[in-house]
Amino acid sequence: MRASGGEATTHADREETLQQQRATISELQTPVIEVWDGILALPIIGSVDTARAQEMNEALLQRIVETGSEIVLLDITGVPVVDTAVARHLLETVAAARLLGADVFIVGLSSRMAMTLVQLGLDLSHVTTRATLAKGLELAFARLGLAVVAHKSGAHWPTPADGDKR
Amino acid sequence: MARVPIVRIGQTLIATVQEELYDHDALQLQEELGLLLEQGSVQGVLLDLSTVTTVDSFLARLISGIAITSRLLGAETVVVGIQPAVAVTLVELGLALPGVRTALNAEKGLALLTDRGRDA
Repeated sequence: MRASGGEATTHADREETLQQQRATISELQTPVIEVWDGILALPIIGSVDTARAQEMNEALLQRIVETGSEIVLLDITGVPVVDTAVARHLLETVAAARLLGADVFIVGLSSRMAMTLVQLGLDLSHVTTRATLAKGLELAFARLGLAVVAHKSGAHWPTPADGDKR
Repeated sequence: MARVPIVRIGQTLIATVQEELYDHDALQLQEELGLLLEQGSVQGVLLDLSTVTTVDSFLARLISGIAITSRLLGAETVVVGIQPAVAVTLVELGLALPGVRTALNAEKGLALLTDRGRDA
């Protein structure tokens, strides 16, 4: 009697832990970051399935409305495999964001991924892509009419008191 | 049922949908816009859908139609204020309004149209 009761508790405990972990993962998997005024970044790590794609899509669209952003950098550096399903999800995100008036750049494409996409015969002609997030950000700045300027007198940059001896 | 009012400001026509957009009103809107565009001197059409929560394939096609018609008559259409849920629905229906310019809100949409006017 006692033994079976204990077993039930551990089972319930395990179930609860599993639920918590699931919740944590789903929170972690859709961070939408405002990297600059009007520019959002959505770094995707790990594989993308339908449920996750939907969640990401919703989170992204919500943030676009909240922040009034015009550009989204969809970073797929951390996506191990891109197949037709993943590509379709990405293109859906691009299309939905476009309806809200935001341009989506897909960044972080590896050469291997690019080749796969070509071999799959996907039409990416209407999607702006860049190899790295940095390149995408550069393009986003250009699109918003911003420029990054290097000051020669970098010494004027406020450093944390004396500790920093760069 | 509610008619969609069309306001003319300078060379821009602004149509703000009140509450939902029903088929009958949408057709009427298309017709009225067409008549106004025919008279010329209109550079842009701003279609505000921020109050619309449901869109079906008919409406999506009609909106695309309005955009294409106005382009033929020399004006550009910007659709603004599409809600996230509506955007998701449209994409899932495979009706992502190709060739229609979009903006988050009326202010940004108007900026797009006026920028174009300045370039031209």
